[in-house]
Amino acid sequence: MPESNSQQIISVGIDIGTTTTQLVISRLTIENTASGTFVPRVEITDKEVIHRSQIYFTPLLDHDLVNAVAVSKIVETEYLAAGLTPESIDTGAVIITGETAKKENAKAIIDALAGFAGDFVVATAGANLEAVYAGKGSGAALFSAQRHQVVVNIDVGGGTSNYAMFQEGKAVDSSCINVGGHLIEFEPHGDRITYISKPALLAIQSTGQRLKVGERVTLPQLRPLVKAMAASVVEVLKTSMHSGLTQELLMTPPLKLEYPIRKVIISGGVADYVYAPCGPATMEEVTAFGDFGPLLGWELKVSFEAAGFILEKPSETVRATVIGTGTQSVNLSGSTIHLQDGTLPLRNVMVISPFTSTVPATAKEIAEVIKQEILRLQIDHSQGMVALAMKGPRTMSFADINTLAQGLVAGMEDYLRQDKPLVLVIEADCGKVLGQCINAVAKHPLEVVCIDQIEVEDCDYIDVGKPLMGGRVVPVVLKTLVFNR
Amino acid sequence: MAVANNELEKVIIQSVMEELAKKGLLSQKRKDHVMAAAMIETPTLPDTQSEEMVTFPPLNEMQISNPFNADAVKAMMKSTPARIGIGRAGARPKTMSLLRFLADHAVAQDAVFLDVSEEFLKRMDLMSVQSAATSKDEFLQRPDLGRRLSVEAAKIVAEKCEKNVQVQILIVDGLSSSAIEANIPDLLPALMQGLKSSGIKVGAPLFVKNGRVWVQDHVASIVNCEVIISLIGERPGLGTAESLSAYMIYRPDEKTVEADRTVISNIHKGGIPPAEAGAHLTDVIKQVLAAKASGVKLNQQK
Repeated sequence: MPESNSQQIISVGIDIGTTTTQLVISRLTIENTASGTFVPRVEITDKEVIHRSQIYFTPLLDHDLVNAVAVSKIVETEYLAAGLTPESIDTGAVIITGETAKKENAKAIIDALAGFAGDFVVATAGANLEAVYAGKGSGAALFSAQRHQVVVNIDVGGGTSNYAMFQEGKAVDSSCINVGGHLIEFEPHGDRITYISKPALLAIQSTGQRLKVGERVTLPQLRPLVKAMAASVVEVLKTSMHSGLTQELLMTPPLKLEYPIRKVIISGGVADYVYAPCGPATMEEVTAFGDFGPLLGWELKVSFEAAGFILEKPSETVRATVIGTGTQSVNLSGSTIHLQDGTLPLRNVMVISPFTSTVPATAKEIAEVIKQEILRLQIDHSQGMVALAMKGPRTMSFADINTLAQGLVAGMEDYLRQDKPLVLVIEADCGKVLGQCINAVAKHPLEVVCIDQIEVEDCDYIDVGKPLMGGRVVPVVLKTLVFNR
Repeated sequence: MAVANNELEKVIIQSVMEELAKKGLLSQKRKDHVMAAAMIETPTLPDTQSEEMVTFPPLNEMQISNPFNADAVKAMMKSTPARIGIGRAGARPKTMSLLRFLADHAVAQDAVFLDVSEEFLKRMDLMSVQSAATSKDEFLQRPDLGRRLSVEAAKIVAEKCEKNVQVQILIVDGLSSSAIEANIPDLLPALMQGLKSSGIKVGAPLFVKNGRVWVQDHVASIVNCEVIISLIGERPGLGTAESLSAYMIYRPDEKTVEADRTVISNIHKGGIPPAEAGAHLTDVIKQVLAAKASGVKLNQQK
């Protein structure tokens, strides 16, 4: 069995948002970091962005329907610019966010991109996943792990601000508020209003002003309104008792504020103006891009500093989300996988966690619990694929692992009759022995995908890519849509 | 007896005090004070007869008082089994840290000096033979004796072990009997299951007392197996005394050198879990059988 000790994979990240579409291509290095006498441990050791696309306006057919063919043209153009062919792409993720995060769009984009990357993963992401990717791309996740400090990343874009709180590198909370730099549109470099969005109208009303489309506006008129929006963004970090405006603008449940927060990182298109040495002085500077992004950025800085927060610099601003998507969406399974050829890749595997606390003591009870859970979730066996997730066996003893194997095979009896692979995701380091036990228990040869040392949450979906490193690991993309539970 | 001693003490202390007072070295007031202390009925000395167990605080509990960044210390403690975040009392370790250190040292010594119990060998249904080292002391002083079977043991192996199998499994106490008792019950069944379901012919596992790694060469020369694997107790450290290594070699002979052995180390509940190690070793043995080589020669074929 030929085994190399290091391998490079090319990963693509595509972010299709309400206003912009971007793409980055990264080179991930995966290596066996364990010394020769240990069981191999494969990790991503380096992430290098090798190509950044220009920032495109998202091609739309109508208000919220994406022109998938035009998106595929963008991808084609950018591959060419990067000097890559679709065959050289190993993995990747498309994240569809904001108003465009709809099923029809996802389907159309999967079809349109089918020729561009064999193992592509498409995730329609809620605001929460978007927030987490932005925080990973901006360096907030790394900051929290290196400094051992809780940090909140706020990705402030055109329409929304996405919060993701990180502790020791892990996203622990997220939220989203309808504040962004593009909610009011102007004549570029001018002072005439061309569009006012609904959330902007709420802010205008809260300050008692009466701005209308077609009117000209001065900086002193605009500033209090932008200040009100910035104050709402800050308020979510300070208290759970929100003002009326904040309550109306919040699009998801607010942050739970379980940890004291002192440090904040701001990413997204508006972020460049947060970290600018001085704010815009004229309306011409404010509306340089036909919106009020520069002013919002400056007012956010003023509000956060006045409230006593420390603003740390992001490593990426406007490209944080797409870089997060391209470099951070891929996880590697532990080195102990039990796979058979031809089963992979698998897409949109629904993850269920049948055991709430500990795994029952007997195989019969385990089988019972699994059957009940499948009944409860009304999973139709003829439909999609299911993965069973669990922390581990009752104990790490061989006897308990064997019992678990018997229970799993018995509990999934009906499902396995459909000739579907048995997909297991387990946190403990026992994937290989569990796979071995299952094969010993099963009466006929089973297709077993047993992925260990990965944590998933209940009811998430996962995509499992083709094996890497001579079959020792598989890339797993987790689609974690909900944190607020 | 204790009472008499106590009385005697009082008399001695009293006369010493009076002598000192006479010479003007002790004021009346100080004398009374010291006497009162000496007269306390129950001595405050620790009771060495007590069987009470000392309970250590959990290992992951941070012992630093007033840390600058407690989260950072906790994260660092999670990343290593080393004794960090234990605080200090002045320039010295805290009592609990010192006691834990001494206790862990005692555990390590036990691992070396105790034998694998007869009851354990019986429970695991293991045939047992001994190396040429007749006692623990001899085993520790004469490494060469631990590397071959005793004459009697060689005879038993020749008579009772199956010959010409693909794989022979040895369980060797080495420097930690604790490692054997802690890991073999989960490792051995996983390994046997893996080898058997792969259709590999395995001889009955054999236990060697007072053995070292090289004893596998002697056994292999008698049973004529393709691969011999020794599951052997590692030299215990203060982190764990239960760590086990697996040494594998393809057809050892008189030209065998250390580089011909493949080793997987660090098998214990805090390292590679023993059951998972059993499944992993199955894969490694399959590679060795396919390549007809082990150690560096195997790696060069990869």
